[in-house]
Amino acid sequence: MKESLDVGSEIVAGCKDVFSTMLMVELEAEEVVIQKKVAIKSNITSMIGLGGGLKGLLAVHCPALVATEITGTFLGMDVEEIDDDVKDAIGEIANMIAGNLKISFAKTDTKIELAIPTSIVGDSFYVSGIADSTRIVVPFRMGEGKFWVELMYIMNT
Amino acid sequence: MDISEKIIESTNEIFSSMVMMELAVNGEIRDCMEPLTNSITGVIGLAGTHKGVLAIHFPITVALAITSSFLGMDVDEMNEDVEDAVGELANMLGGSVKSILSAKGRDIELSLPSVISGENYDFQPTREVDRVVIPFKCDAGEFSVELELEK
Repeated sequence: MKESLDVGSEIVAGCKDVFSTMLMVELEAEEVVIQKKVAIKSNITSMIGLGGGLKGLLAVHCPALVATEITGTFLGMDVEEIDDDVKDAIGEIANMIAGNLKISFAKTDTKIELAIPTSIVGDSFYVSGIADSTRIVVPFRMGEGKFWVELMYIMNT
Repeated sequence: MDISEKIIESTNEIFSSMVMMELAVNGEIRDCMEPLTNSITGVIGLAGTHKGVLAIHFPITVALAITSSFLGMDVDEMNEDVEDAVGELANMLGGSVKSILSAKGRDIELSLPSVISGENYDFQPTREVDRVVIPFKCDAGEFSVELELEK
């Protein structure tokens, strides 16, 4: 049963759902990248741990322009720079995407518990997982900008 | 005994048994942290009855010395061994915190550990959390361990 879930498609659907319900924005997803290196440009990464039947980590990586645009749209106001509002908004989006993934996996009897989101803000940092995990990255387009949703996981059987 | 003392105890145990280094607490326990420069951070999420994040932050120079001691070989530049060692330390500390917060750790699940590294980054909670940041020092230099728990 567990193998039957197309995790990449679930991330695409779950993320689009969050953006259309919370931001009234229709996202475009690019091709899902599995187990390959992807060049990611991030000024803010919000990540949330997943435990239970699946152990993993979901991260949303945004360049500053995209992060402020997402937050501005979310809050209905102009946002100029990465401040506490941006940290909270991107963290909440990571949390909601992880929440949708939890629902997707529940369909295959895999119970997932969520940790809390944390944010990393900076101009030169990168995030890596552990060697034997599966890594899926989905690049999304929002208007002119691009951001990335990444899932690293192992099934905990 | 409060949770900071238990984290200090666990960190001491892990370092003396796995890294072969003795530690000392280096100043006051805080509830906030400055942005990090030339650093590496190991992070692990806690989910279940307690939701939170445990992180261990090292300046790169300290991470290299600790990895060398951990692996018993000289490591003088950032590579996967350093990332794995820092991730593994976060994982071990996460395991201890799990047992501190829940009898036999039964009601808490750990996420996978991950590692952040870079020249300049700020590691911040997103939610309203109780945060403790514990500064340590060892022969190789200073580092810190932090726990964020959802209120």
